[in-house]
Amino acid sequence: MTIVLFVSVALIAACGLIYELVAGTLASYLLGDSVFQFSTVIGSYLFAMGVGSYLSRFVTRGLVARFISIELMVGLVGGFSSAALFLAFAYTQGFRLILYAIVVAIGILVGLEIPLLMRILKNRLEFRELVAHVLTFDYLGALAASLLFPILLVPKLGMVRSALLFGIINAGVALWSTYLFRDQLGARGLLRITCACVLVMLGAGMAGAEWISQAADANLYADEVIFARDTRYQRIVLTKWKDDVRLFLSSHLQFSSRDEYRYHEALVHPGLAALPGARRVLVLGGGDGLAVREILKYPDVGSVTLVDLDPEMTKLFSTHPYLATLNAHSLTNARVHVINADAFAWLQQNTDFFDFVVVDFPDPTNYSLGKLYTTAFYRLLGKHLSAQGLAVVQSTSPLFARQSYWCIVETLKQAGLKTYPYHLYVPSFGEWGFVLAAMSPYEPPVRLPGGLRYLAAPDVPPLFQFPADMLPVDAEPNRLNDQVLVRYYEHDWREITH
Amino acid sequence: MSSTRRQFLSAALVGLTPKTDRSIAGGFIDDGHQIGHQLRDRAPFAPVKQVMRIPIVIVGGGIAGLSAAWRLDKRGFRDFVLLEMEERAGGNARWGENEISPFPWAAHYVPVPGKKAELVRELFEDLGVLRAGVWEERYLCFSPQERLYVHGRWQEGIEPLTEATTGDREEFARFAARANEFRSTGQFTIPMELGAKPSTLDNLSMDDWLKQEHFTSRYLHWYVNYACRDDYGALARDTSAWAGIHYFASREPDEKGPLTWPEGNGWIARRLLEKLARYVRTGNMVHRIAPEGRKLRVSAGETDYIADGVIFAAPSFLAPYVCEGAPPVRFVYSPWLTANLTLDRLPAERGFETAWDNVIYDSPALGYVVATHQSLRTHIDRSVWTFYWSLAEGSPADNRRLLLEKDWSHWKEAILGDLERAHPDIRQCVSRIDVLRLGHAMARPVVGFLGSDQRRRLADNSGRLIFANSDLSGFSIFEEAQYRGVKAAERALGRC
Ligand SMILES: Cc1cc2nc3c(=O)[nH]c(=O)nc-3n(C[C@H](O)[C@H](O)[C@H](O)COP(=O)(O)OP(=O)(O)OC[C@H]3O[C@@H](n4cnc5c(N)ncnc54)[C@H](O)[C@@H]3O)c2cc1C
Repeated sequence: MTIVLFVSVALIAACGLIYELVAGTLASYLLGDSVFQFSTVIGSYLFAMGVGSYLSRFVTRGLVARFISIELMVGLVGGFSSAALFLAFAYTQGFRLILYAIVVAIGILVGLEIPLLMRILKNRLEFRELVAHVLTFDYLGALAASLLFPILLVPKLGMVRSALLFGIINAGVALWSTYLFRDQLGARGLLRITCACVLVMLGAGMAGAEWISQAADANLYADEVIFARDTRYQRIVLTKWKDDVRLFLSSHLQFSSRDEYRYHEALVHPGLAALPGARRVLVLGGGDGLAVREILKYPDVGSVTLVDLDPEMTKLFSTHPYLATLNAHSLTNARVHVINADAFAWLQQNTDFFDFVVVDFPDPTNYSLGKLYTTAFYRLLGKHLSAQGLAVVQSTSPLFARQSYWCIVETLKQAGLKTYPYHLYVPSFGEWGFVLAAMSPYEPPVRLPGGLRYLAAPDVPPLFQFPADMLPVDAEPNRLNDQVLVRYYEHDWREITH
Repeated sequence: MSSTRRQFLSAALVGLTPKTDRSIAGGFIDDGHQIGHQLRDRAPFAPVKQVMRIPIVIVGGGIAGLSAAWRLDKRGFRDFVLLEMEERAGGNARWGENEISPFPWAAHYVPVPGKKAELVRELFEDLGVLRAGVWEERYLCFSPQERLYVHGRWQEGIEPLTEATTGDREEFARFAARANEFRSTGQFTIPMELGAKPSTLDNLSMDDWLKQEHFTSRYLHWYVNYACRDDYGALARDTSAWAGIHYFASREPDEKGPLTWPEGNGWIARRLLEKLARYVRTGNMVHRIAPEGRKLRVSAGETDYIADGVIFAAPSFLAPYVCEGAPPVRFVYSPWLTANLTLDRLPAERGFETAWDNVIYDSPALGYVVATHQSLRTHIDRSVWTFYWSLAEGSPADNRRLLLEKDWSHWKEAILGDLERAHPDIRQCVSRIDVLRLGHAMARPVVGFLGSDQRRRLADNSGRLIFANSDLSGFSIFEEAQYRGVKAAERALGRC
């Protein structure tokens, strides 16, 4: 009997902690600045618990019935807290207000739980025993919850379902208590019906959790979020796990600090090192400044123009201490001009020629981005290349998205450019592909700049060889009025994920 | 103290309320019906101050009138004027522009012309749309072209096939096969005059023809009805089967299209006006055309023009009010309403991406076209939507009355109510709605239009007064307007 009682203590303690973690995590995910969010959520939660404990003195009669109602209320408010917060974020302007209202409400209710329970149990155990046991199980429950939350709940269930699951546990404890304390309880029928109703509601929430999660869960990450911001153009998220910092733009991985050098060395050097006379370089996309870092290794390059849509992105990578170190302060280099503009439109009105152009756009996941991979775009690109100039295009994976990759090659050809496709292995991405495009023939470089971590001159020609499973496949060119690439891309990745 | 607390609380409550409706600006756009009605009511006009002798006068600066001018100019003939009633030329290809984008007020696309549409190709070569047989990619409608909101979500394309049964699909296939058969007869051409022969299909409605051919799928019926409403402003049951079939059987595009621009066909009108500005006199309503010896006297404002030939490119139904001795014209015209919505935020999207043409299944209206769709930018967070609504249900006369009677708020609510079905948050996105009422928007190809004596008599054009408006084809589309305009110019040249 008593052990069963203490298990309930552990369970409700776990529930209380989970709601607090849910609120803290959601606040950091949605608002960024996790230190601030967690501190204020924990602070207000603990304070509210204190208020709850104080209020418990005013509960004098019907302790068990009160305890059960409180459990049900915690179950409801806590269980739906995560869904409510997501919806509040999406549909109201009062996210913060609702956040703290929920945190305080749960805190007060949870603060009431333990004092009431102790008073319910006070006649069954000696006081010394009671305090020791209740508090022990309280902390044990908290420990279990704090471990379960990051390891199992968030990755497996997601935020919405985790909270609901613990709401169900609270309501379960309530129902169970109508049996445990039946001798201290008058009319039980109505209470049990209420318990059943709450359980059904939470169960229904569980069943409907999918669409809320779909709407919101896309932005949940496996690792600790160290920076999150919604800009006008995208959602920028940085995560960190040990020494691995990852950048996500609108949930798509852009780089991992552990192997980005492979990607960026291979993006820049096979082309740029083959152009000893290159003076003017253009980078489209690539606001992280990592490709620019590689370009600045050529002392003869007099000017680098970087065109990236999002000013917050280029600002972040110019000023954030860690990120600016990662790109070797490339964005604040005197040779570099940062322009925040929409690339296609910018190129259309620009009249300059460039010796080398890096085209590093996000993958063609939708028709808007797909415009940057069309014959029209590449024709325009060709008009900005100097006579001997080269362009290199990030072209998704020739292994996972084989038809998409060869579609990009075909599109460049249709735009009147000679193409030289190549690929490499980047652990965090897998097999990745680029295409060099030019008006005149291309020869791989004989020398590369010093200080590279991945590429050496003799390694360059082999990059242009494709094994059997990545060899060319038939693909139509991608055109503004017939964006086959977006369809290929969707199809290619669906094949992989199903 | 208490006041700050109240402020705090109310601030908190404001934050809590769902993102609410906002006030929406807008009004009616000048639609020329007032000046038009002066003609009908035969109001007195200003006395003549000057008389000008000029070989050719073009009346009306829509696509037909501008095309006539384009042809005359191209032939090296410079001695003519084009008189346009409105302050800006363009007619049904008129356009507007705001801080976000240029946008169309009516006509918004031209299907990619097939090899046989020589005149349209010639024009597009002049305008740099067609170069060495290749269509300029930026002027072809970008992907995705069309989507339909049906069964609670957006699907690609406007054939409602998401929940279609095999029976429905078979009917769509059989319908397409029938259209192909008709195409191969060579009678369904653009321009229509080149191929059209008297046909029994002109004796029944499109709706009756579908029934006669045992088409029963409600999706197919919706689709065909939509096509008639969209192209002719009429229900399938009010459209001649010949015209209904023409829509599906006439086109043989040699590229995925259509051709479109942010300001719709306004782009073409604009380019033409740049070339032809010196001939065009806007704000000049022609109120009288009368014989003057062997010539014609054309009165507009304070000027009378004595001309050898007059190209009448204004809508033909106006002729009896303007031309002395002209018999009444009994064409049927469909009333339309269009609106431009300024969105300073875009509604939340789920399902298939925003397309150029966006249609809501089972709506009385026709959906909306996105002006920023042809933008090269990848990130678009504001836009202008042109909302199309042919008032096809009920009689044209009743609907014209409705257009004049109802105030702007009525149409604003109707438009938002319609869009709200697919975009629940639309009211929070729209800052402005401007509405254009077009009482006689376009000729309607009713049953019997093809064989109509009057249509053929007006189109005959053997006199000094040469009719050129697209309504002579029975249905008004860009290619017909251009063809009629060019042909009229050639006739007029032959006469000078
Ligand atoms: C809402 C709507 C959408 C359409 N969409 C398309 C489309 O997408 N594609 C397509 O091909 N077609 C479309 N059309 C058809 C369109 O009518 C034709 O494409 C074409 O623009 C018709 O040109 P028009 O010159 O024959 O006639 P109008 O454009 O009607 O030109 C007549 C001109 O004469 C002027 N005028 C009238 N009276 C006088 C007078 N007394 N004196 C001087 N000037 C006068 C008018 O102001 C006007 O400018 C649409 C029509 C409407 C109404």
